[in-house]
Amino acid sequence: MRIFTRLGQPVRQLFFAVIALLMAFPFYWMVTSALKTNDEIWRSPPTLWPEVPLWGNFAAAWNEAPFARYMGNSIFVATAIVVLQVINSGMMAYALTHMKFRLKGVFAGVILFGYMVPATAVYLPGYLVLSELHLLNSYGGLILSNCVSVFAIFLVRQAFLQVSHELVEAGEVDGASHMRILWTVLVPVTRSSFAVLALITFIEQYNNYFWPMLITKDPGLQLVSAGLRSFFVEGGAYGLKWPLIMAASSFTIAPLLLVFLLAQKTIMQSVNMTAGSSKG
Amino acid sequence: MTRSKVINGLKPVLFTLPAMIPFILFWLAPLLYVLYLSLTEWDFMSPDKTFVGLQNYADLFSNPAFYKALRVTVLFCAGSVLPVISIGLGLALLMNRKLGGSALYQALLFSPWVTPTVAVSIVWSWIYEPDVGLANTVLNFLGLEPIGWLQDPKWALTGVLLVTIWKSVGWAMIFYLVALRNVPSDLLEAGELDGASALQKFFRITLPLISPTTLFLFVVQIIQALQAYDQINVLTQGGPSGSTRTLLYLYYQSAFESFQIGEASTVAVVLVFICMLLSVFSLGVSKRTTHYQ
Repeated sequence: MRIFTRLGQPVRQLFFAVIALLMAFPFYWMVTSALKTNDEIWRSPPTLWPEVPLWGNFAAAWNEAPFARYMGNSIFVATAIVVLQVINSGMMAYALTHMKFRLKGVFAGVILFGYMVPATAVYLPGYLVLSELHLLNSYGGLILSNCVSVFAIFLVRQAFLQVSHELVEAGEVDGASHMRILWTVLVPVTRSSFAVLALITFIEQYNNYFWPMLITKDPGLQLVSAGLRSFFVEGGAYGLKWPLIMAASSFTIAPLLLVFLLAQKTIMQSVNMTAGSSKG
Repeated sequence: MTRSKVINGLKPVLFTLPAMIPFILFWLAPLLYVLYLSLTEWDFMSPDKTFVGLQNYADLFSNPAFYKALRVTVLFCAGSVLPVISIGLGLALLMNRKLGGSALYQALLFSPWVTPTVAVSIVWSWIYEPDVGLANTVLNFLGLEPIGWLQDPKWALTGVLLVTIWKSVGWAMIFYLVALRNVPSDLLEAGELDGASALQKFFRITLPLISPTTLFLFVVQIIQALQAYDQINVLTQGGPSGSTRTLLYLYYQSAFESFQIGEASTVAVVLVFICMLLSVFSLGVSKRTTHYQ
């Protein structure tokens, strides 16, 4: 685009510097507000940097509500879901791409149909199903109700379709079982898809709010988003403790920003793959 | 012989069960169940559900609250999807040429997408604070009147939309960056030799070639907008006076606040119907007009 290149490097540098600052500003505002006193946070005009940074606010917020528990719950539940999704979408995708059976078309159709249904629309009956199974208010309910993802099956299926059939046939000739072919031939070749799947699922589940909040009433089972929200409403009492609320938001977000920094390449790569899998 | 045949026949079943059992339990069965519930009247507590046929649908379609929620939903979809796609594309076009530090810019623009909606919405609710919040401080600095960002029915939806757009725009940009990199440069050079202007090249070559990405973003963003809950719950809870109550929020409130299961299920069925209509429509569009390389 010549109109854009005509703008030249410095102009575009300046433009992106401003945009990036604007986008990142809420994060900056969150952390600096966490360091202020309540009086300073309510002062107008606001101060850009706290007069005396109160690092102790982080510890105070951490101790005021069971955040260790909330984050532990989120990390545990998200990890368990990732493991289960890797297993069941790997096996499902293998059956859909490398096995012959009568119901194949039906299964593929049913899953495509599931892709079109918004998850939130089935929350109410899903809640009733969980209650029938006596899985409300349990880790089991949180994990099992999220352990299958249509998106994951699509992503893995797409990856398996690109693996050459000769590779699989060679394994069959050697007399390897389907399980062996799947885990020792296909999965290693398509590991970047699995890495993407694991990361995206982890982020999504760690952040999950609506559904876990509905199916767990026990505060000891709350995930971090719901825990933060109840701290915001009850403990923080809307404005009485804004610095502590900001501190709590900061350490809720921190693990994800860390994961993002460490796995930036894989996450960005996922964009390429999800765009690819949508074509299939 | 027959026994090994049976075992071989069972293998595909065994491979699909780990996915199909939870899929049936938590997707398919609930979907049929919600369809049934929409034909009943039930308050969650009483042991019996009364079968009422299509009464819930008749009630819903004559309820002004439904049309208001439908209107808010359409506004929410248009107001989030169009800006996300167009700003995302604009940013990607600007970044597509060599730019120092572009990795850092990408990371900063993308980071809101990774972070929990609840946490960032809480931060935004502080930014929107009417008296000392940052948003009104900036307006004041520019010599403008302060706005009741989340308190004024005229502005509340805009407030929620800004957060939604902020969260997704970097994500859309990354998709477009990937798509733009895949546009073959010899095509653009050929266009240049034919004397095409920059705008002509953009509309005739680039835009058609990245149309699969546009379609993908469009569908995903609309489905996300139809399901938006977290930011509405934290920022406005559907208020003030219903100005941010989408269909999904109406569904949530009638199911889990007023326990009108029949009415809620009817809204859910309507939502599913809209999503399927959109998916079928986009499939049709993609077959007809998008260009795959």
